[in-house]
Amino acid sequence: MQVAKEVAQKFQPNAKLEAYHANIMDRQFNIDWFKGFNIVFNALDNLAARRHVNHMCLAAGVPLIESGTTGFNGQVQVIKKGKTECYDCNEKATPTTFPLCTIRSNPSQPIHCIAWAKSWLMPELFGESEGEDSDVIDSTEDAGNADEIATLKKEALELKEILESMGSDNFCRKVFEKVFKIDIERLRGMEDMWKERQPPDVLDYDKLESDSAQIEPTVSELSRKEWSIEENFAVFKDSMDRLTKRLNELQSDWTGSKKPILSFDKDDEDTLDFVTAAANLRSTAFHIERKTKFDIKQMAGNIIPAIATTNAMTAGLCVLQAFKVLQHELDQAKMVFLERSGARAINSDSLDPPKPSCSVCSAVHGSVSVDAERATLHDLVNVLRSELDYGEEFSILNHGGNLVYDPDLEDNLPARLRDITNNLDYITVVDEDDVAQVPRVNLELFFVERAEASSEETKPVTLQQGLEIPRKAKKSTITSSEDNSITNGMSGPGKRKRDGEDEEMTNGHVAKKVAADQANGDGEDVIVLDEENGKDGGAILID
Amino acid sequence: MSLCLNRLQEERKQWRRDHPFGFVAKPKRTDQGTLDLKLWSCAVPGKKDTLWDGGVFKLDVIFPDEYPTKPPKCKFTPPLFHPNVYPSGTVCLSILNEEEAWRPAITIKQILLGIQDLLNDPNPESPAQAEAYNMFKKDRPGYERKVRQVVRENPPM
Repeated sequence: MQVAKEVAQKFQPNAKLEAYHANIMDRQFNIDWFKGFNIVFNALDNLAARRHVNHMCLAAGVPLIESGTTGFNGQVQVIKKGKTECYDCNEKATPTTFPLCTIRSNPSQPIHCIAWAKSWLMPELFGESEGEDSDVIDSTEDAGNADEIATLKKEALELKEILESMGSDNFCRKVFEKVFKIDIERLRGMEDMWKERQPPDVLDYDKLESDSAQIEPTVSELSRKEWSIEENFAVFKDSMDRLTKRLNELQSDWTGSKKPILSFDKDDEDTLDFVTAAANLRSTAFHIERKTKFDIKQMAGNIIPAIATTNAMTAGLCVLQAFKVLQHELDQAKMVFLERSGARAINSDSLDPPKPSCSVCSAVHGSVSVDAERATLHDLVNVLRSELDYGEEFSILNHGGNLVYDPDLEDNLPARLRDITNNLDYITVVDEDDVAQVPRVNLELFFVERAEASSEETKPVTLQQGLEIPRKAKKSTITSSEDNSITNGMSGPGKRKRDGEDEEMTNGHVAKKVAADQANGDGEDVIVLDEENGKDGGAILID
Repeated sequence: MSLCLNRLQEERKQWRRDHPFGFVAKPKRTDQGTLDLKLWSCAVPGKKDTLWDGGVFKLDVIFPDEYPTKPPKCKFTPPLFHPNVYPSGTVCLSILNEEEAWRPAITIKQILLGIQDLLNDPNPESPAQAEAYNMFKKDRPGYERKVRQVVRENPPM
């Protein structure tokens, strides 16, 4: 941040720049802080922060230039409340997760084995075990079926017992035989699973140990080579050793309350070696192709390539759009795409109006002044009923997404607002009076704390402005089709999703897809860079 | 309000107004006394006239931020003796699997009814725990005895 500021300052020494090294989602960047800007540029790297800034800009009524890049692709979107679509008007693809069944019992792709090594085996051995939360089960409730639970926990316990021998000479052998022999034998025993595919093979520790006797652990430096099963075995043993030593050292120096753990980091060679070797050994057992350490680093680390020139070009496109917004030419603003494939490098599309069904930007925003010491939920509910005409049926949610009030949840009425609303940031009111009529859109109320405690005669909660809350475009109910054929359990290994590469979609990609569907194909989406001197400015065409 | 919360609030409203007899679905209470819409305490009764009749089985339903694009995770607490329930208690069911039959339109009511169906109609194609699976396959009388015991241990609240 500081460096970016210093560089930018050289372009314009007279500009007042302020750098913050902080999280944009922190409380200090509240609605009033956002209201202090004429325009906001997003250059963020994650969905949560993008959504947050989108929301804050909508609430503050400040135009937002949202942007993102992935490899050679870039995208810029202008967002203005009530005029354009917001960031959340279109659904965003989410990072892929895999069902537990696929990871634990039935892998069919290298990524499944990588996820197993990274997200299950690594935390079980060197981090926080998933099983630990099940120990929190209330023991009185369990008393009746203690026997049953004991059996169910056996599998998890086997690994825990092994963990106690960490540091001993045969620790590596015990872990290996648990995950590549005992667990695999157990899976092989479930014959129905292997009707349509070859059952997994058990790996033999002694055989691999003698076959790999000549292999130096330095083979782990060959990150672009696909290691043989013996080489993977050698790296597995060696990296287990390294990680065990590190964990021992950490824990012997440990004095605090939280036990030190090791977790996967793509730039931590020891953990990367371990995940690579364990994933490849599992792939071998399940007849799945092995991957190189280089590939696994990308796959396990979710690496999305960043290209400096793409970022620079996208930043330039952001500035061009910002000119239009600041010159009050929002109707001229565009959604802009930078891409490598296709006839042109830069394409654009007109901005769509807000989606009426979007629960994020259809909301009405208002503010209430509150006496933090006195104001209760009851005071707020009274204001909603008497001044904003809410009926019996409505819900109130706080910023954290917790339900504060609804017709079946009245126990919080006497509670102080500041205790149930994350210290007075904002709440969302959802109208549910939908039996006789279409309900009103959501209302978001931001709290403004009074500087001084107000006297008893003053109401503890007062609206700061009159609010018009329109009705929703159409009744929104959950469409429940009854035709879904529910099948039990998971099906066989036949049906699989697309390959891992396709799944690393980021926001940029998705937004682009959405717009590509809408592109009308006429020549209008060529961007003219220099509009004031239109005769000089031409379309950028790259063949 | 996010798509996820918007939907969960709608689910809560629908359930509040109408839900199948004997079922429970309620967001968990937090320390502040508010309700966490992303974590529900639920209970599914065994179907009438089946082996599971008379038992009521508690489970947590955990909704990810990406819900309803992604399905919730359903976890019996304590873990349940059943071929399609993992030792951790997690239910393995096609409608709860993003890569299989999950669709965003599936409601909490449909999920819980689907789990009720699963109780008496396990899917041996996708075993999740060895004990119940092996008994179901190889020792049906023993399996049924065990289920009856589990039913006795989980009476209606």
